[in-house]
Amino acid sequence: MPDIIDVKDLVLVYGDGTKAVDGISFQVQENEFFGFLGPNGAGKSTTIKVLTTLLRKTSGSVAIAGNDINSDSAKIRKMIGVQSQETVVDLDLTARENMMLQGHLHQMRGDALKKRVDELLALVDLTDVADKRASSFSGGMKKRLDLATTLVHGPRLIFLDEPTTGLDPQSRAAVWQYLEKLNKEGVTVFLTTQYMEEADKLCKRLSIIDHGKIVANGTPSELKREIGTDTITLKIEESGLEGQSARAKELLQQTKGITEVLSSDDGLTAYAKDAGFIVADIVRSFDASGIKIASIGVSSPSLDDVFLHHTGRRIRPEEAGQKPAGRTRFGARRPTRQ
Amino acid sequence: MSLLYDTWYLFVRALTKLIRTPILLFFSLLQPIIFLLLFTQLFSKIAAAFPSFGGVSYLAFATPGILLQNAFSSSLQSGTSIVDDLNLGYVQKFLVTPVNRSAILLGRLCCDAFRVVAQSLIILVLAYLLGFSFTTEVPGILAAFFLIAYFGFAWSGISLTIGLTTRSAETVFGLGGILTFPLLFMSTALVPAKGFMPNWMVTVSSYNPISYTVNAVRDLALKGFVFGDIASALLVITGIALVTQAATLYKFRKIVS
Ligand SMILES: Nc1ncnc2c1ncn2[C@@H]1O[C@H](COP(=O)(O)OP(=O)(O)OP(=O)(O)O)[C@@H](O)[C@H]1O
Ligand SMILES: [Mg+2]
Repeated sequence: MPDIIDVKDLVLVYGDGTKAVDGISFQVQENEFFGFLGPNGAGKSTTIKVLTTLLRKTSGSVAIAGNDINSDSAKIRKMIGVQSQETVVDLDLTARENMMLQGHLHQMRGDALKKRVDELLALVDLTDVADKRASSFSGGMKKRLDLATTLVHGPRLIFLDEPTTGLDPQSRAAVWQYLEKLNKEGVTVFLTTQYMEEADKLCKRLSIIDHGKIVANGTPSELKREIGTDTITLKIEESGLEGQSARAKELLQQTKGITEVLSSDDGLTAYAKDAGFIVADIVRSFDASGIKIASIGVSSPSLDDVFLHHTGRRIRPEEAGQKPAGRTRFGARRPTRQ
Repeated sequence: MSLLYDTWYLFVRALTKLIRTPILLFFSLLQPIIFLLLFTQLFSKIAAAFPSFGGVSYLAFATPGILLQNAFSSSLQSGTSIVDDLNLGYVQKFLVTPVNRSAILLGRLCCDAFRVVAQSLIILVLAYLLGFSFTTEVPGILAAFFLIAYFGFAWSGISLTIGLTTRSAETVFGLGGILTFPLLFMSTALVPAKGFMPNWMVTVSSYNPISYTVNAVRDLALKGFVFGDIASALLVITGIALVTQAATLYKFRKIVS
């Protein structure tokens, strides 16, 4: 099957000279659930704006379902749905009016549109408040309505820019459910997120972007395997003897296969490839030295570790969660034209 | 076809939003209504004393001016709505749909025109209750409303251009405030020029585009169809509209392409 998104050497330079996207290439297949991960300012939203015809690329090539982004933009707009990072619902209009307007702008009319709107309002659990103005909605309800408005015309491909940022865990889980359902029905999803858990759960494949460049590509498990190190966390029993923990750290460092040891308040953390095999060695050497182990655990790398490995930063959900979910102002600056 | 439909749906949206923010309508009607109730009392004796008022009551003289004043100040606000639509992301949300690009602007302009006509109607009804009337009756009123709406359309281009350029509602409002009073008072909207204003102001007012439109509307109300005045009003308004709406279109194209 041909790629539904095909991006080659895409560059976008804003009017003030900011190179927000610096030569990225990637492909997304039809019906794939694709994740685009990156810290603040990495270039995620900028990429989405180019792929959805809102910003004109500086150079490179972009094709959506075989249509060139510059010459076939009208065709592209018919088949995509876009939820921007800033929640955009018309607060003076009711939920239903917001949906109907979006349908009308997609040339949908009459009963077919009405039926579709009812279906979608039910999908995002807004049926009860369908005829209330959006100004009375909570942040989560607005986000859900925004998502529903992007689906009215039954797009083949949807772009979602941090659709769950600022949502409480319940609403987030609900959005995940809708997205999985849509994807099962054949919709291709392009999702940006700062939640590693979300990317891990939903995305079949992802790219990590940092400073406008793609730094890693692959399925979540491939990416985790690639960085390859497991984490061993170990606690020793308090014996009251001086220097025990220093001795323990030394022992770990001497163990074959361990690449790095860190000590913190709640014990020791060691990194190793295939840690499962090493645990036995550790237990034996600690036994021989008379140091009692209180607990020992092995965990394989999380997507969080992958992210840290590639960007040198850790995205913390609470940090991402602090970003406002309501109306934020759009940048007033525009990009340079070719 | 899609242009017509899309304009209609965006017009309905804009109108719905307008009607649901009645406070906005209230404030923009407040000024002309105060003028109508207060000034017509305040100046009633002056109109009788100065022959340059043409021997009509101040109410008869000033109502056309107040209609134009209302059109003028509402048109200078039309830029604020497009600023909101841009800054809150609505325009971007429209732009990722196949919507006809021009409809985004046309829907807004139609709503502005509708608003000016509706407000004028309210003012006119009030003036009729106070004793005002159009000698040319319904055809004259229709012609006057056309002039008033066209006049509003021409001036709205200024605030749209400023709004699209600065994306700041405050700037648009500020500009409206600065322009309204000098242009209005140095026109024949509320007082006659010759025989009433100092000489220099007579000159200014004779170049003031507001005067041309006021004179044409006033003729329709008090004299009859004076085609020379209507033609020069149309000419002046068309000149302004060409410049301001071309600037608007230019700025708008830059945003949507
Ligand atoms: N309109 C603009 N004009 C100039 N620079 C911009 C503009 N919009 C974004 N930038 C810059 O481009 C870079 C990429 O921004 P972008 O919004 O694409 O990042 P992001 O990955 O979406 O970040 P976030 O997670 O915070 O949403 C940043 O350095 C940002 O400051
Ligand atoms: Mg972003």
